[in-house]
Amino acid sequence: MGESLSARNIVKHYGGVVALSDGNLEVRAREVVALIGANGSGKSTMSKVINGVVVLDGGQLLLDGNPIHFPSPQAAKNAGIATVFQELSLIPQMTVAENIWLTREPLNSFGQVDRKAVKRRTEELLGLFEGTYKTALHPDASIASLPPDEKQIIEILKAISFNPWLVILDEATASLDSRQVQRLFDLVAKWKEQGKAIVFVSHRMEEIFRIADKYVVLRNGRTVGAGNIQDINEKQLIKLMIEKESVLGFLRGGAKSEEKIEKEVALEVENLTNDGLRGVSFKVHKGELVGIGGLRGQGQRHLLHSLFGDILYSGIVKLFNQEVRFKHPRDAMRRGFALVPGDRAKEGLLYIRSILDNLLLPSWRRFGFPLKVSNARTEATQVGSHLNLKMAGLDEPVSSLSGGNAQKVVIGKWLMRDPQVLLLDDPTKGVDVGTKAEFYALLTRLSSQDGKTILLYSSDDEELIGLCDRVLVMHDGMIHTELSGNTLTKENLIGASLGASQGDRE
Amino acid sequence: MNRSRWEVFTRRQPALFALVLLVLAVAINLIVQPHMFARETLNSNMRVFLPLILLAVGQAIVILAGGIDISVGGIASIVNTVLATRVGLEGSPAEMWRYVFISLIIGLLAGAINGFFIAFLRLQPIITTYATSFLYAGLALFILPNPGGGIPGNIAAFYRNSTPLHLPLAFYVIAVVLLIWSYLRSTRYGNFLYAVGGRAQAAYETAVPVTWVQFGTYLISGLMAAFAGLAITMLSGSGNADIGAPMTLNSITAVVIGGNALSGGVGGVAGPVMGAITLGVIQNIISFANIDTWWETLVRAVIIVVALAAPGIVNLFRRRQP
Repeated sequence: MGESLSARNIVKHYGGVVALSDGNLEVRAREVVALIGANGSGKSTMSKVINGVVVLDGGQLLLDGNPIHFPSPQAAKNAGIATVFQELSLIPQMTVAENIWLTREPLNSFGQVDRKAVKRRTEELLGLFEGTYKTALHPDASIASLPPDEKQIIEILKAISFNPWLVILDEATASLDSRQVQRLFDLVAKWKEQGKAIVFVSHRMEEIFRIADKYVVLRNGRTVGAGNIQDINEKQLIKLMIEKESVLGFLRGGAKSEEKIEKEVALEVENLTNDGLRGVSFKVHKGELVGIGGLRGQGQRHLLHSLFGDILYSGIVKLFNQEVRFKHPRDAMRRGFALVPGDRAKEGLLYIRSILDNLLLPSWRRFGFPLKVSNARTEATQVGSHLNLKMAGLDEPVSSLSGGNAQKVVIGKWLMRDPQVLLLDDPTKGVDVGTKAEFYALLTRLSSQDGKTILLYSSDDEELIGLCDRVLVMHDGMIHTELSGNTLTKENLIGASLGASQGDRE
Repeated sequence: MNRSRWEVFTRRQPALFALVLLVLAVAINLIVQPHMFARETLNSNMRVFLPLILLAVGQAIVILAGGIDISVGGIASIVNTVLATRVGLEGSPAEMWRYVFISLIIGLLAGAINGFFIAFLRLQPIITTYATSFLYAGLALFILPNPGGGIPGNIAAFYRNSTPLHLPLAFYVIAVVLLIWSYLRSTRYGNFLYAVGGRAQAAYETAVPVTWVQFGTYLISGLMAAFAGLAITMLSGSGNADIGAPMTLNSITAVVIGGNALSGGVGGVAGPVMGAITLGVIQNIISFANIDTWWETLVRAVIIVVALAAPGIVNLFRRRQP
């Protein structure tokens, strides 16, 4: 059984992107270390370095003071390190028991899996969370048939089934209900007594203060703070996670937000519910630029795609006081909706086709039969110059463009339809600074001059603060807080993202 | 409740559809060929079906682990040409045994080549085995450019006419294959097959040796293709470099109508065995019903399409329900 693990000066690149530039973490037996950081600060990469899923590019891992190298998850596992993965490592086609004991199945003397032993030990493990299950969970249930919280529990049981000395809990509580979280924390306390070490990666401040002994804060791939949890409070922790105020190249119109209220309500959403959303309600006025904030994967994508008719939902959506129910993106497009999706390579563009083809894609009907190629060309050229699109020609493939210019094509193809409501899913991700500034100017112009209603999700907090009149912060499929005017600050935004400072959550 | 019960049922009983299809096919066959279960008829049918059954077993295991092997026909052809040219019509039983052994080594080697490219170099299975299928077919043509050669008549006759306990030899082969499979299924390797085919990334994170599991499936498939080549040589008694090629797609068809998901992780081996027999029976029906051979292609195509579409159609109707 190990006593301590420390990661020193860890460096990890993914292609050209630096995920970790100087990651440090130290964990000892009988303690719980909380690993904290904002979006993209390198938390997940850090835990993947410790459990051998990724191979580090620089730095050192020390196990009980001796250098150690994990070329594969198997190596880390042999060293007694178990991981509860954020994106569960379960195989949906297999049963609960098969998943928990995969690679460590008890064998009989003929080399066969001892099913009785597997079943018995699985039942023992399932007993740890006894009474918190919503279904009659049994060892032979298939993973695919379980609700998300029970999958998460199986993932936890799988990690501890080989009695590791170090357990990494990567967002393990995200899909658990309060009873299950309590049970997990009781278990964590017991593991501590047994001499185990725990690395707890979480976004929930309240939980961090409940069970952690120590904290490690990551910011932009660097460890910027570490120490005992008693010596720090929530506010100081959040400050550590935020970078020093940087100067933004654009300014928000000061009094803009007050006069907006007078305008008519363009979009009204009531109690939107589906797989990723738990009762979302809000209103957006005409010509308003409203931001959606929060940590990645808290339902923002679901919200935008639901409004666009791509994901079915229950609840009411009203456009200018008239109820609409989109069953297909086609319906939403007819009513003047446009969606700039988050993954432009997969959802936004046909990379091998020309810029012209991509721009015309949503509006081909207008230029359709008989083909009005020259009209289409003229309009596409106008949109291109409007967006300051840098290209060799309309007939060049989109793959020849840089990230920023490719994103301009995605926006341009919708501008050709003159949409009334623009939904944007993190449009400046992977876009260079110059193009970002152009986007900001464009979005501001579209909302304040052209009266478009814009809903913008961004993983960049500064962007939201600088650009938006109001920001709806999402957490756990719900709107946790609404920030505007004076309350729209970086501290509040990050605090709300982490679900902190308000006691309205179970 | 209803939904999950259905899902559990189809997951647990992937071979059910294959069984229904097989019973249906046999019933129709009984109408056109009433003496189907007579010892001689049964034996002659089964020995014709056996090569495809063996290929389907190997293919099923590759597909279970998320791959595909379209070079199996080529491997069977190599084995056929090697046996036909090296043993010859006048060969001794000892010679035969020696080349049977060599054939199996050839099958394993060919499988190892596929497995190396796919598991270690991470190339696309369908492209890789498509390419190697030409390699193997070309090699078979090189060994035996024109049909000819053969194996001793008495050895072929032994294979064709042996009916221990009045049951076709093929039944015993199938029984042995299924026994070995049920053992393999109950070992760790069996679990790994399903894990890798189900979600390779999750399996990797759980420390399953994904590369070796994949490599292993191509070895098995190569070996089964060699057995199939052996069976087909015993059946025909002669050599022909083109003999394996048309069997490749049939082996995939057998796996699919056997209830295994082409995406991997779902199914078994009993289903594909039934699928292969069904394909054979359909061919039998068509030849006995005096239908043009091109109808056979059409009928087979319809069955494949129905088999592929049936689960999707069921799901379509289920989704309609609120």
